[in-house]
Amino acid sequence: MLFKKLIRTIGRYKAQFISMIIMVALGVGIFLGFNIEWKTLEVNVAKAFEDTGFADYRIVNELGFSEEDLKKVEQIEGVDAASRFLSVNVPRKDDEDIVMLTVSENIAVSGFKVLEGTAYDPEDTEGLWISERYAKQNGLSVGDTYTMVYKNIEFSGPIRGLVKSGEYMICLVEKAQMMPDHEKNGFVYVSPAYIKAKIGMTFYPQIHVRSSLPKETMIERAEAALGKSYMIVDKELVTSYSEAHGEMTEGKTMAALLPVIFLAIAILTMITTMHRISISEKTQIGTLKSLGFKDRRILRHYAAYGLFISLCGTILGVAVGLGVGYFFVNPNSVMGDYLDMEHWELHMPLWSIAVVIAINVVLVLATLYSVSSMMKGTAAEALQPYAPKAMRRMWIEKKKVWKNLSFATKWNVRDILRHKSRSFMTLFGIVSCMLILIASFGINDTLNSYIDDFFENSICYKTKIVLDTETAGDADVEALIDRYEADWTSSMGIQIGENTYAMEIYRLEHDYFRFVKNHGEHIDLPDDGVLICERIAKKEGLKVGDTFTVSVYGTTEKYELKVADIAKSIAESVMMSDTYAEKLGVQYRVTELFTNETEIEESPIISSTQTKQALLDTFKSFSELMNVMIVMLVFISVLLGIVVLYNLGIMSYAERYRELATLKVVGFKDRHISRILIDQNLWMTILGVLLGIPAGIGVLKILLVMLASDYELTLTISWLTYVIATALTFGVSFIVGVMVSRKNKNIDMVEALKVAE
Amino acid sequence: MKIVEISHVSRIYKVGDHEQKALDDVSLELENGKTIVILGPSGAGKSTLLNMLGGLDSPTSGTIKIKGKDISTLNADQLAEYRASGVGFIFQAYNLIPTLTVLENVALVKEIAKDPLSSHDMLREVGLGEHMYKFPVELSGGEQQRVSIARALTKNPDILLCDEPTGALDTETGVMVLKLLQSMAREHGKTTIIVTHNQNIAKMADVVVHVKNGKIKEVINNDKPLAVEEVEW
Repeated sequence: MLFKKLIRTIGRYKAQFISMIIMVALGVGIFLGFNIEWKTLEVNVAKAFEDTGFADYRIVNELGFSEEDLKKVEQIEGVDAASRFLSVNVPRKDDEDIVMLTVSENIAVSGFKVLEGTAYDPEDTEGLWISERYAKQNGLSVGDTYTMVYKNIEFSGPIRGLVKSGEYMICLVEKAQMMPDHEKNGFVYVSPAYIKAKIGMTFYPQIHVRSSLPKETMIERAEAALGKSYMIVDKELVTSYSEAHGEMTEGKTMAALLPVIFLAIAILTMITTMHRISISEKTQIGTLKSLGFKDRRILRHYAAYGLFISLCGTILGVAVGLGVGYFFVNPNSVMGDYLDMEHWELHMPLWSIAVVIAINVVLVLATLYSVSSMMKGTAAEALQPYAPKAMRRMWIEKKKVWKNLSFATKWNVRDILRHKSRSFMTLFGIVSCMLILIASFGINDTLNSYIDDFFENSICYKTKIVLDTETAGDADVEALIDRYEADWTSSMGIQIGENTYAMEIYRLEHDYFRFVKNHGEHIDLPDDGVLICERIAKKEGLKVGDTFTVSVYGTTEKYELKVADIAKSIAESVMMSDTYAEKLGVQYRVTELFTNETEIEESPIISSTQTKQALLDTFKSFSELMNVMIVMLVFISVLLGIVVLYNLGIMSYAERYRELATLKVVGFKDRHISRILIDQNLWMTILGVLLGIPAGIGVLKILLVMLASDYELTLTISWLTYVIATALTFGVSFIVGVMVSRKNKNIDMVEALKVAE
Repeated sequence: MKIVEISHVSRIYKVGDHEQKALDDVSLELENGKTIVILGPSGAGKSTLLNMLGGLDSPTSGTIKIKGKDISTLNADQLAEYRASGVGFIFQAYNLIPTLTVLENVALVKEIAKDPLSSHDMLREVGLGEHMYKFPVELSGGEQQRVSIARALTKNPDILLCDEPTGALDTETGVMVLKLLQSMAREHGKTTIIVTHNQNIAKMADVVVHVKNGKIKEVINNDKPLAVEEVEW
């Protein structure tokens, strides 16, 4: 019989039950969705690296490694496997595409997995194994012939297989590139035999190593084995590894932040709503008690309400979670564009199931807590209707201004203060809605400002020419600089203490490259000091005027540098003028030219070229990722706002039903009463917006620190963001206010006033 | 002068597939300034009749004219305007707004009534000058009902409609409230219609209307209505 009561009560309070189920579904869904996102990446990225023998260390020497060197490395205790490795950016013949021509002597290290075609053959002197993603984008199939040109030599051959490689999971050919362009860039593996057959020799500037040794031990043992120090890069510094793991860390951060808001709202809404429902059920609780039902039996009955809501919410939430997870990580998503890997099956951390169960337990306990307070005392006491707390005069009522307020204002002020938990929940809902809107639009503003700083204010060239440092002689480079009226840079690896950075030397006569501080403010490159990026300044504790020592990688050269200013930079770099470099006696070779020419002739000393437009295009995908995320967050926050406010609005309406009926009886028109209700909503919204703005800025600050410390982002929020976020929040509040106040028309004055107080 | 003219009014409520006739072809005319008591057992239709007069409900058929104006065809807004100035309600359950003080409860009708009286004066008249800044919960039942009377009179209506005004009060307090109601109505020249099942209250009425099964059984004109204190309670 009590089951029938349960079903009918659910029907009676269907608006509240539906709101709570939606809130629980959103809470559980967002929680699972964000955890599914990082876990799916964690499992599938690890599998992709394992399947293709992703190297743990890279020993780098521009002069190359011999077979003997490789043997020495292989013999190091703790090294599982090693392979000499070559990867160079090579243009496709008669095309702007740039692919990374790659050779790994031992394909078990930094190799690939064949998805289509024939297995790798180290003796194959003709065939190519090409990036499956790039091939698909360019309509290439197994058996087609593909041709690249490097140093005026054609590297051509039939495609033997379409492959994926952990090494190129994030396939970026340029350090300033943020998103891969699978149509224009890819990678091509060939065998050592192929290279030997084409150019008569092999050259390997890297040895890739699979080993679980700690970095320091690896460095020590490699130095001991090879007899001198080389640059040893661990996988943490390799883009594919660091960025893929960065995505997981971001996912974990988001999973720790955003769902907390939703879960907190779900639990608080449950407590508030169940408390209100149990107030209206108080007499029935008393009736059951007086009929002889034991407290335990009654509690069990009401626990079923909570269980019903939490189970329905959880089932829906799991579906939402899988949807959110899939939305973020599937091969066709923006993440799928970013990470080129084979497997995309969804995975969920096991502990998240325990958390979901715990949420259900909390929700049921919240219900029990609300009901048990209505069961206190004897059956006769339980039968008494709920007596709300007596009104007490507030401090503001002693002020003169109070007397001049309209009755509606006084009524609303007292209602807000009288129902503190409901008011708090309403405020919490509005603040959360505003906070998410400000934070999500703010991310967009911040990234747009970052892009503006670097791509509008910093990059002023049309084309960048990457030189082949092995073949480019000084005279050739000078000729090229004159021909294209180019500015230039030279890049080299340096160490400050134990940390590895880049040092860039510039000659900028045409202002094709500029240095910027916050908000695009330009800084000139000084001749008596260096610019350092914000991250180096922070990591090394350096400020303007300080001096520090750098040692150039692979040499014994050391230089004392003075910090002239702190600039923004994509890479972690120290930037100096050629004049300052010459003053210090720094040895360098020009590595890149910047020019306004767009027609660049092929040359043996040019490794590749890249236009500014091509670089900007890669940002389009990045912006798309952000836009998709923002649209989803905006949708979620608006939905959250509507559900929370509607639920609380209905609750407030039900609580004030008798008072509203009285107003109607004494002659207040429906629209007057609606205005009073909407007014209260608007006050709460104004307060919520005022609190939500700093809260949103705070959350955005945390997000930037936690998610994007690898970029030098300056928190930027445009006035449009404030306007849109405020308008959306007010819109939500107004719509809900109108939805609730429309119910006034249905107030049955006769019925409402019949019941005894 | 006739203030109320009820002509062939019926009110049928639908409960599921069932039809329930709360009022069945009722006709009645009431004079201005009189005290009218509507008597009848529970379910007789007396409250329905009062609700029709107050513009809380509309008849299924028939017409209700107040001061010659038919209120049975008014829309929701027009009915609200009528309630705002034409009638004052006094309920058994007082129906005060708990979050407003005594004064605010009374003053709130000044925002909608066409020609309201002073809420301060009215509260003093009902003897609550000392309690103006208290909340309803701080008052006794009798005091709360006095607030309700003050609120009804502040609107300066033509008719006072009282639904079991002493139903929730003990006899002593009830008598006090009735006394106040009678004196205030007379002083302000209001037509007072009281719905009750208490036969004693009928003795103080100018007109007693007996209602049973949704029909008016009898209308008795009382030439010598008693003062409240003369009634044996």
